[in-house]
Amino acid sequence: MTKIDSERTKVAVPARGKLPSVKRIGGWHAVGPIVIFLAILIVVAILTPAFIGSGGLAIIASSSAPILLLALGQAMVLNVGSIDLSNAAIGLLGAILLALTLGPVAGLSPVIVLLATTAFGAVNGLIVAYAQVPSFALTLGTLGIFQAVALVASGRTTVYVASNGEGIHALYESGIANVPMTFWMGVLLAVSLWVLLRYTRVGRGMTAIGKNESAAIFSAVRTRSLKVLAFALSGFAAGLAGIAIIAQAGSASPTGLGSDLLLPAIAAALIGGTSISGGVVNPLTVIFGALTVALVPIATTAVGIDAQAQSLVYGAVIIGVVALTMSRNKSSIVK
Amino acid sequence: MVHKVLSEQGAGGITTTAIRIRESGIERRARFRGLAEPLSLLVALAVLIGVFSLLNERFLTASNIQNVLTQSAIPLIVAVGATLVILLGSIDLSVEGVMGATGMTWILLSNNSRGGADLGPWAWVIALGVALLLGVASGLIFTALKVPSFIVTLGMWYVGLGIATMLYGTDLLPRLEDEGLKGWTSRISLGLPNSFWVALLVIGLGILVLRNTRIGRVTLAIGNSETIVRSAGLPAFPVKVAVFAIAAVLSGLGGILATVQLDIGSPTVGSGVLFIVIPAVVIGGTHLGGGKGGILRTVLGVFLLTILNNGLILSGVESSYQSAVTGAILVAAIVFAAWSQRDRLRVAK
Repeated sequence: MTKIDSERTKVAVPARGKLPSVKRIGGWHAVGPIVIFLAILIVVAILTPAFIGSGGLAIIASSSAPILLLALGQAMVLNVGSIDLSNAAIGLLGAILLALTLGPVAGLSPVIVLLATTAFGAVNGLIVAYAQVPSFALTLGTLGIFQAVALVASGRTTVYVASNGEGIHALYESGIANVPMTFWMGVLLAVSLWVLLRYTRVGRGMTAIGKNESAAIFSAVRTRSLKVLAFALSGFAAGLAGIAIIAQAGSASPTGLGSDLLLPAIAAALIGGTSISGGVVNPLTVIFGALTVALVPIATTAVGIDAQAQSLVYGAVIIGVVALTMSRNKSSIVK
Repeated sequence: MVHKVLSEQGAGGITTTAIRIRESGIERRARFRGLAEPLSLLVALAVLIGVFSLLNERFLTASNIQNVLTQSAIPLIVAVGATLVILLGSIDLSVEGVMGATGMTWILLSNNSRGGADLGPWAWVIALGVALLLGVASGLIFTALKVPSFIVTLGMWYVGLGIATMLYGTDLLPRLEDEGLKGWTSRISLGLPNSFWVALLVIGLGILVLRNTRIGRVTLAIGNSETIVRSAGLPAFPVKVAVFAIAAVLSGLGGILATVQLDIGSPTVGSGVLFIVIPAVVIGGTHLGGGKGGILRTVLGVFLLTILNNGLILSGVESSYQSAVTGAILVAAIVFAAWSQRDRLRVAK
């Protein structure tokens, strides 16, 4: 009996309540991602000063661009309490479609690709919202379908951009402050999503769904169309990631650059303070989540850890960072 | 247990007849629904087998059936563990990493082309010990630190792959040299492939654990409502750790068998298994939210996917389409299962 009572009091007083300064700027999960990124960066800077001096930050930013774009889309879907396991496959399919169509239709190609990937995302959303199926299982299924379409469309080989690739490639070659435009594209998307979530009825509705879907339904939030929108945004962001892949590599293949971005992108969204059960997201800190994910392999090499241990360190960092930044209380159920 | 209590109360002469009639109606409908889903799966299986045997006379030959059984053995073993975890309402994404780490540990401690120690049966013990450690670690981080299982096991996937890669090192590929073990998994004894016998044993033990032990009962109860389990004073914490440990050991066993089958050690020995196992569990009708489902349904799900892929390859469908077929079946199965329960106020996660 006393145990239950003590648990109740703990629920009533949030654990982080004692730190008003942290709370004012949005809680630990708002600053955590930035602090962790800076901490890892400082360690790298001390151990290998040459790396930071020779444009290392620009390298991290440019390699994080596709991860960032996918993570932002994923964060929007996680925010409504769902998950999109197919977004990396949609992004790769987008890259393949872009490489195939850039020759024949030139300037129209990115538009077509973005429309197509947004539509793919919307189809996911429509099935999740209207057939009321679990998003994890549904997007696992559509992941398989998109993968197969990518394999068939590319004929199992690398598709090179035949002509008209200069405009897209310029996104990677040109940049602001030595950082390629592909990364700034991600930052721009993050800021737009932040405005959407913070200042619009649509964004507020999405967060409401993630916090408590039943309550959102009873408050006349248009839960179904907002879910479709969240998945469509994920498809749109995946299309942008496809463009970033082509800008960087000039080619796309079902097994090449971008084929294993699903888990790093989910990790980036989570390290960026997104709650996996929904209702908590900040696109601006997701930027730092993506940067951290890109930094970890570089940091392990800088610290002198064997290259073979990289994925071990990567796994441990994901668990550790999420354990550190998560908000939890004693009586909550974690699945 | 609950049923027994209810029927004892009934025999004790409680006169609320209307309620009891209603309850028995609900129970009958639940029993019908519980049978209907596996039945529709069995019908689907029978239709598939019928169609494929008409399309290709090689499909129903003894050698192809043995082939299908060998192919399904490793997913079956891993899927038993995955079902237990999903019954908790959690998810285990670490299977491929655990398979890699266990398979690599095992082959390096067995008779292999790199030399080194040949520990014989101890290699099995140590390798499965590695899997157990990974599973207990996942379970403890999940329960004690309250990190969602999706993230813990995602991290553990990488950790397992990392351990396998480190063990692999930069040397030559370790090749299995034990003549008795080479090809053991697909060898036939008593009409069935050896690996399928192992799978049958695992399935039997899994059903026994789920139906007849405290771990199994509490697992189902946690999936239904963890709040109630905790307030009833049942051991939610240790059971969760135990389930993750069981799942990891089964993944590890799958990893060793996959290594035997492949003849060589590779960190990515388990690649692709997760994309069969989780769809199979879901197609079988186990709820991702936990509490509802079972191991036999998962077995049907695994068979459905393996037979489908095998039959399509025999019918000359290009292997590029395989993942699309698995995906489409998964989508169809979940939409089919959820369609009748649609409701404006329903929340499906």
